[in-house]
Amino acid sequence: MKTWKERQHSFDLEDRNKAAMTGLVFDIQRFAVHDGGGIRTLVFFKGCPLSCKWCQNPESMSSRPEIMRIPHFCIGCVKCVTECPEKAIHFKEDGSVKIDRDSCSLCGACVEKCYAGSMTIVGRYMTVDEVMEVVERDRLFYSTSKGGVTFSGGEPTLQSEFLISALKEAHSRGLHTAIETCAHTSSEIFAAVIEHTDLILTDIKHMDPARHKELTGVSNEQILKNLKMAADKGKTLRIRVPLIPGCNDSPENISATAAFVGSLGSAVEGLDILPYHRLGEPKWAQLDREYPLHGVVPLKREDVFYMKELAERSVHNVTIGG
Amino acid sequence: MTKNPPIMAIPQLVGPSDRIKRVLDRFMDAAPAICTERAVLITESYKETEGQPMPARRAAALDKILSGMSIFIQDDELLVGNQCSMPRSAPIFPEFSCKWVEEELDRLEKRTADVFLISEDAKVKLRSAFEYWDGKTTNEIASQLMPAESLEAHNDVVYTVGNYFYNGVGHISADYSKILNCGLNAVIASAKKELGKIDFTDPEQLTKMHFLKSVITANKAVIKFTKRFAKLAKEMASSCKDKERKAELLEISRICNKVPAAPAETFQEALQSFWFIHLVIQIESNGHSISPMRFDQYMNPFYKADSISTEKAQEMLDLLWVKFSELNKVRDESSTMAFAGYPMFMNLIVGGMKRDGSDATNDMSFLVLQAGANTKLYAPSLSVRIHEGTPDILYKKAAELSRMGMGYPAYYNDRVIVPALLARGLDREDARDYGIIGCVEPQVGGKTEGWHDAAFFNMAKVIELCLNDGVDKRTGKQIGPKSGKLKDFKNFEDLMASYTAQIAHFVRLMAAADNAVDMTHGKHCPLPFLSSLVEDCIAEGRSLQEGGAHYNFTGPQGVGVANAGDSLAAIKKLVFDDKKLTADELCEALETDFEGKEDLRQMLLNRAPKYGNDNDYADEIAKEAALIYCNEVNRYTNPRGGKFQPGLYPASANVPLGSVVTATPDGRKAWTPLADGVSPISGCDTCGPTASVLSVAKLDHEIASNGTLLNQKFHPSAIEGEKGLENLKSITETYFQNGGFHVQYNVISRETLEDAQSNPEEYKGLVVRVAGYSAFFTALDESLQNDIIARTEQTF
Repeated sequence: MKTWKERQHSFDLEDRNKAAMTGLVFDIQRFAVHDGGGIRTLVFFKGCPLSCKWCQNPESMSSRPEIMRIPHFCIGCVKCVTECPEKAIHFKEDGSVKIDRDSCSLCGACVEKCYAGSMTIVGRYMTVDEVMEVVERDRLFYSTSKGGVTFSGGEPTLQSEFLISALKEAHSRGLHTAIETCAHTSSEIFAAVIEHTDLILTDIKHMDPARHKELTGVSNEQILKNLKMAADKGKTLRIRVPLIPGCNDSPENISATAAFVGSLGSAVEGLDILPYHRLGEPKWAQLDREYPLHGVVPLKREDVFYMKELAERSVHNVTIGG
Repeated sequence: MTKNPPIMAIPQLVGPSDRIKRVLDRFMDAAPAICTERAVLITESYKETEGQPMPARRAAALDKILSGMSIFIQDDELLVGNQCSMPRSAPIFPEFSCKWVEEELDRLEKRTADVFLISEDAKVKLRSAFEYWDGKTTNEIASQLMPAESLEAHNDVVYTVGNYFYNGVGHISADYSKILNCGLNAVIASAKKELGKIDFTDPEQLTKMHFLKSVITANKAVIKFTKRFAKLAKEMASSCKDKERKAELLEISRICNKVPAAPAETFQEALQSFWFIHLVIQIESNGHSISPMRFDQYMNPFYKADSISTEKAQEMLDLLWVKFSELNKVRDESSTMAFAGYPMFMNLIVGGMKRDGSDATNDMSFLVLQAGANTKLYAPSLSVRIHEGTPDILYKKAAELSRMGMGYPAYYNDRVIVPALLARGLDREDARDYGIIGCVEPQVGGKTEGWHDAAFFNMAKVIELCLNDGVDKRTGKQIGPKSGKLKDFKNFEDLMASYTAQIAHFVRLMAAADNAVDMTHGKHCPLPFLSSLVEDCIAEGRSLQEGGAHYNFTGPQGVGVANAGDSLAAIKKLVFDDKKLTADELCEALETDFEGKEDLRQMLLNRAPKYGNDNDYADEIAKEAALIYCNEVNRYTNPRGGKFQPGLYPASANVPLGSVVTATPDGRKAWTPLADGVSPISGCDTCGPTASVLSVAKLDHEIASNGTLLNQKFHPSAIEGEKGLENLKSITETYFQNGGFHVQYNVISRETLEDAQSNPEEYKGLVVRVAGYSAFFTALDESLQNDIIARTEQTF
């Protein structure tokens, strides 16, 4: 079976039909250490119902595979140009490259010939077995570190059937399961997903429904409802608050968030404050998209610690960084 | 196995005292210089003893050096004993080699690594002393003894036997426990007893007589040397106005009158006795890697029996750590490429199992790790042994130290090393009692002449030769057997046959080269003092160099396992399996160092499976490449009646060995460094540390009983917080459960990230770990990389 790395060397859109059920995955990261306790394998699902301005994985937003180009890996061999049957890739005089994304048929010819790894397609259609093959490889580390598998995204519940099947499979193999979810999905789906989930990692981006819609494209009502349901069912929750300057970092919002989290009671294992960082920004450019938060400066250390203090008034286990 | 008793709590540990801070400041200010005293004294002595038996000459020389060299006691010192006329200065050992010293005298101050100050007066003295040594050094004698083909392959850098060819051997541990508990007077008594049994009419026993007499002379010389310090301390006390310091000096004087001649009783006596022994070994010879070994095991009883406070004991240990760092050695300029940073490789190990198999962790284990944290010095090299019964608190303390980013402690796996040593013929209890020599080489201390750093074997050069019918593409010379060209090979099996033929040929030449050097040390440079501290030299009446030790080995290292494995894997995959490349295309690209063929190089780098990603295709080939080397080494024996045993580690020889190898099919450019130890090639392990260690664990570490080395790097974000310590433990534990031998951790610093910006290819696997985020460092743009660099040493 191909390793995750080897899968990146070619692309075949037909892979989505290779089995009754495949999921679209854009990365599998081994040795993830901030996503659910212990050493974990993080499976990133592609596609998200939200469109947060600060998204650190913009390649996860679309539910389709897409071209992503890392300009400084390019060695100028121009094979991508000559191999493209749609003539969708153009080298300009100044050395920059223009991709006509509308013409791209996702045939994968450019990826196959780009040995330097500059031209990539993000997203691979995989079966649950293929995902589990990678996950299983670190089984020993899970047992020595109390780790496991975390399904992240994008939004994993957007591919709910695939997710539930993967969670069930992981459980049947005795692995600890976690999901990283925005919780924006129907109550039915959420209930079905969390049945096979040991730990729910979930973001609360803003407490005000209107502001939430402005920042992410959707309201927060269904999200908060789902979280309450999970708490009522006695599931373990870890709440994460991405702290984004000028978006959700007012003391009022943080206090309101913490108060809500506190109201969920003992289901909440802890609250992680995730300070804004700019690590996602280059990836927006690599997808030819404009970064909505360009120029936003990360918060000062002392401001982050102040927010932590505020949150600690309502929640007992607050960490910075997850 | 004995059940482990419940472990005590970590003793209350204390930070560096004010005295230590002062001593450390003084140490940092001391500039290494060349000291001529030893060179001058030994030359005079050799002139005086012409014609005498060699052991007698060596003992007389040691006596002359120890009686004539300058001694001093520095402010704040509680443990005394100096190697040279100035702290951090290096003595010269002309008896091993001195031509290079003479040639490089004017460059010592100017070279880029390991600079030594030297006065014009010193140069004159040395030049005059060196005149005597022309043709007499072990280096010159050994090169006469060596088969011409062996010397040629050494000069072509298919291997290098440089270490012992130009220097003393070192790489040993004395029986410190015995000396602390019995004293040198007991060593003299046992030599006298053996001498009493000698039958002079038996020619063999006549040789023994000379050796035993040299043991007595050497040990008496050491006792005289230590009494010089007793006298000096007393004189200094008499003129000392400070009452406290005066008392300290009087105590030093009392102790130096007592040890190491007599058994030590207090903790300070034990440390002082240890230090004198450890010091004199490094005046007698310049062989580096003199290992204190299981210091916690032999030192803890003295600590526990003493009423000394933890603070005072910690301060004494910290002072000892500075003394370790004051020892120095000058190496030739090309060796400083391989051994930069004035390293002495004095490996000190804690934990593991006792001789009966139960857990050996004790209070001293923790005090030792704390001394590493308090002094942050590069000596001694700290190591920790791990077995099933290792207590969590020791694991945790070690992980905290690892996270400080100094590269120590190194972790060793009892589960692999004990059986590996058993397979080499050690007794069960001796195998359990192992410690580490130098970089990663296990031996039982006080009983072994292991010759652990016998050679570095260039596995990447063999790749070049096995593709080109034995022709060295750097020089155009036919140096290896005619094993065929890549285009002649029909399949991967043909290629492997060529690789095996080249390995077999050059391992054989290397064994002959090593044995020639070995015989030269035996005949021309026996070390009576060191020999008297290792079993069975006195009982056998033979020096270490002539095979007097209980266990004897020769350990040459294979370097570039990952380069060999990945090169073979790339050819198998791209030429034989997928036929994406022809043999001619590949060989032409290699010959021109990929000139105009960057896309082909990228194919080799990114489309061939790489060792270090938990990918069986590549890992199995790397394993096979290493095994072929190890099996060949296992065939040979040395002149001391011992066997050869392979290791897979480079010290830093991966740099000079790489500098003679043309481009290789793993995508490596010509003349660049080889991979480090059994570590994957930098930048080729892109699946994270778990995949990396699982790959490395697939090698057969037990057969490489001279040691394997794995360096694992982490960005601070990966190991922050309490759970970061747990994760480090989990990596070590899982690697060891899978059969790993050694691992050490480096924490990526600002400088490393800056290097990653300039050399992205070597850091392709580098990930800054943030919750729920996916990307490699090198895929980020420059401004963001700068941002990460600026924040890297500040984690929340």
